[in-house]
Amino acid sequence: MKRVSLITGAGRGLGRILATFLAGQGCDIVITARTITELHNVSQSLESLGTRVAAIPGDITNPVHRTRLLQQTRAMGGLSLLVNNASDLGETPRPELARASLTRFRTTLETNLVAPLALIQEALPQLEQMRGLVVNISSDASLGGYERWGIYGSTKAALDLASKTLSAELKPRHISVVSVDPGDMRTRMHQDAFPGENISDRPLPEVTLPFWAWLVSQDPERITGMRYQAQGTLWEIPA
Amino acid sequence: MFDRPTDLFASAPPEMRGHDRDDIRLMVSTPDGDIHYTFTDLPGLLEPGDMLVVNESATLPASLPAASRLGNIRLNLSTRFADDLWLAEPRWSPSRPGPLPLKEHEMIQIGEAKALLLQQYPGIPRLWFVRLDTPASCLMAKYGEPIHYNYAPAYPMSNYQTIFSRFPGSVEMPSAARPITAHVRDMLRSRGIGIVGVILHTGVSSLEIEDETVEHQALYPEVFRVPEASATAVNATHARGGRVIAVGTTVVRALETAWTPNGLRAISGATGLYIHPGNSIHAIDGLLTGLHDPVTSHLAMLSAIAGLDRVKKAYGEAIRNRYLWHEFGDSHLLWRQDAN
Repeated sequence: MKRVSLITGAGRGLGRILATFLAGQGCDIVITARTITELHNVSQSLESLGTRVAAIPGDITNPVHRTRLLQQTRAMGGLSLLVNNASDLGETPRPELARASLTRFRTTLETNLVAPLALIQEALPQLEQMRGLVVNISSDASLGGYERWGIYGSTKAALDLASKTLSAELKPRHISVVSVDPGDMRTRMHQDAFPGENISDRPLPEVTLPFWAWLVSQDPERITGMRYQAQGTLWEIPA
Repeated sequence: MFDRPTDLFASAPPEMRGHDRDDIRLMVSTPDGDIHYTFTDLPGLLEPGDMLVVNESATLPASLPAASRLGNIRLNLSTRFADDLWLAEPRWSPSRPGPLPLKEHEMIQIGEAKALLLQQYPGIPRLWFVRLDTPASCLMAKYGEPIHYNYAPAYPMSNYQTIFSRFPGSVEMPSAARPITAHVRDMLRSRGIGIVGVILHTGVSSLEIEDETVEHQALYPEVFRVPEASATAVNATHARGGRVIAVGTTVVRALETAWTPNGLRAISGATGLYIHPGNSIHAIDGLLTGLHDPVTSHLAMLSAIAGLDRVKKAYGEAIRNRYLWHEFGDSHLLWRQDAN
């Protein structure tokens, strides 16, 4: 049976690359993003690969939208791979924590932490049935303590901890959870993080393809709880 | 660094040239200079308590004939992610490399089976992610032959295995242990020299590609495993003052990936570690290997172990003495600066 994958933030950048790769592998795909035109373009290019694609535009912080996404994955046979990729960088230019808008912090937290957890909660019956894998996209900002990265970084640090905790809690149900730091890439989000700067020295998101090829080929239950660096030199399978 | 000595490429294994596998030359490079031996002298050059670490990966018949829009080509499988998902190198022929003008999501045919070219490997356009509609193990059993290049024809698969080959997965022979015959192994054991194994499945080397930077070669990962028993044996060797000799560059990559400030640990996964003079060697004291092409990541590794000057000097010495190159050629034991 074909695997069904749900990828959020699939309109461009990393999400688009990953959706294309999974479609090429013969997965059925549900993609979502807020920008309708971008999502439509991705959807068309995936359909040309002969794979089943459902493109549902919307905001993952909206519960109605999340339910629609998971109704779709259920209709396609049940969710095997959930990639929480959609992220909010927060205020730009990135403020110091001392001056950061708390209102804006809450919306960032909503997108980067609460919405992914809500999707996971609602997807649990499907993931359990399919012995599925959840991939939460993290960032080196979650560990760094870099100046002016406190908002985004702390939401990703929280997501990392949620991933690890979920992994422990969901093991008995054979649901696996990993977090993945894709590393610096030449994407729109990275450009937004460095407004006006030249980021052409950063690799395109395709640089992460070898990691995805490796990850989706592993037995999820053997790698659950791990945090991987997609551009790192070691992808370990714990003993 | 040096001109590739094309007249010194070994085109046939010693056993095809009427010799035993261990009937080859062995050059030993120490900080004091390079000395010439024969391979069967190896046990006497090591001390009781030293430890050899070998690669137990066995070689697959990973070169497949394929039909494409461009005519008949070869598909050399490189790296297995799953039985139906590989990194692979489409080539015009064993002697004629790519990159071929193929397109994303183009289909090529291997017998009755179909291979879908997904995407090119980032930064290495001659390598593609490929999805197969038939397990690669079946295709290799039916159509495969060993990957070979212009300097040597394809020999029977047994020529591409060592006495340590146990776990199929390499597409090119981890050849450093090739001259270790049962006779040499028994001499090593009776002298009190240990042998333990690790696994690292090699990808394609595509020896004729010269214009790529070593950084690019380092980008593609290889699946490996350092078992608990081997990690423990290596740590114990270091602890009692013995020397650890990696048999092959693949073993160096595996062991250095497994290294921590507290010694080696058991580990498995995929490693993209690139060993070059800018990062240090910790896990090994010496490397037993063949003679490598001038522009490869192997030489960067050799320089990390012994320093660029010593490697240059040793290779000059090998060329002057007409050592034979590549997987069927002669052998080279390179000691670290401070190993003796």
